[in-house]
Parts: sequence; structure tokens; C-alpha cells
Amino acid sequence: MEFFTTFKICGSGLSVQRAKMDVVTSNLANVNTTSTPEGGPYKRKIIAFTPEPLKKGFDKALEGAVQAVKIQGITEDERDGRRVHDPAHPDADKDGYVVFPNVNAMVEMTEMITAGRAYEACATAFDAAKNMAVTALGIGK
Amino acid sequence: MTDISIHGPLKPADITPEKSDDKQASESSFGSVLKDAISDINKLQNDADKSIAKVQLEDAGSIHEAMVALEKAGISFQVMMQVRNKILDAYQEVMRMQV
Repeated sequence: MEFFTTFKICGSGLSVQRAKMDVVTSNLANVNTTSTPEGGPYKRKIIAFTPEPLKKGFDKALEGAVQAVKIQGITEDERDGRRVHDPAHPDADKDGYVVFPNVNAMVEMTEMITAGRAYEACATAFDAAKNMAVTALGIGK
Repeated sequence: MTDISIHGPLKPADITPEKSDDKQASESSFGSVLKDAISDINKLQNDADKSIAKVQLEDAGSIHEAMVALEKAGISFQVMMQVRNKILDAYQEVMRMQV
């Protein structure tokens, strides 16, 4: 059924936005993590999305034009973290400086709101598509 | 009446049915189509069940996936109910026929 195409696209959108929320919360949770198993402070993670073509169950006219979304990959922000003078800190270097993660809590909060709003938008689109299907079922009643 | 005239002989309307459509219709009977539709709906219901079990029991999978599966199952069920209602209406219409 063609309504399921809309549902599929909405579902993929919801999935990626939720994944983005995971990445953002990971960044926020590690905002003060100064040591990692790989050494050095935690590095901010960035999630990127890419369109995904839908294979089957498609209107010929829409084929290739309408695409779902998937996660392209999660990369690390390679910028330097902020240096804080704190000689008592266990991760302080010989000059007494500690390198904190390159995570900016304010940036992460805006990213979080973006993900939340996009998630809401996908859910609203889903509801709209469902209402269309229900309207179609009411034809002729 | 000179402005209304027929040029050339009258031809009968082309009512030959298209062969390909006719053949397709005979291959898949209405009953089998309905059966297929119902089994598809059953599959969607099972998928929805599975995704709910995944969220509730295994603590894996996501809420929205379960909800999407549920909505799919719900809408396809509603479609099936509409088809059933139409069939029943037609049946009752036939039964009410005066003989």
C-alpha cells in the first residue's frame, strides 16, 4: 500500500533523529571527561545523515525522487579541547594544565532541540498520512 | 437540418475487451485475492506483535518502530473491514432481491 511508503520514510526519519539524540546525550554526558582508554580527553562525536533510496512499493513517477534517510556515519570533532590550569587534577600535565573535551554544552543543547523538533515533525507527518488514510477509508460512507 | 449530417458509414462502438486484462482476471479469482490480502494483514499484525514484544520484553528496538508497525497493522485491518462491509452489503442486497 502506498501509504506505507510515507510510514517507512517517517520511520527512518524518527530513527535517525533518535540516533542523533543518542550522540548528543553522549557528548553532554562526557562534557567533563578528561581521560579515555585511547588517551586524551573525550572527543565530541558528530553524526551525519545521508538519503537512502527506497527500493520497492513505489509509484513509478516518484521512483528515485523520494528518499528515506539513514546514518552516514559518526565522526569525531578533531578540534582541540579547552585547557584549564588545575595542577591537582589527576589528568594534569607537567605544567599543571588539564585538557577538557571540545564539547560545548550550549551547542549540544541546540543540537538536542533540533533533533527533538525534527522528531516531532516526522511524527506529525506520520499522523497526517494516517489521517489521509482514514479519510480515504471514509469515502462513500 | 443541413448543419447536422453524418459523413461516412456509422461504425459500431469498439467493445472488444482487452485480452490481457481478461486473462489476468481469470488467473486470480476474487477469493484468492481476498485470501492474499487477509494473509498480508495477518503478517502485519504479527510484525506489530513482534515489535511490541521487542520493546516490552527484550528491552531492544524503539518505541516509534513499534508504533509504526501498530499503525500499519491498524490501517490495513481497517481497509480489510471496509472490504468486508462492502461484500456483506452486496450479499444482503442480493438476498433481499424479490423473486
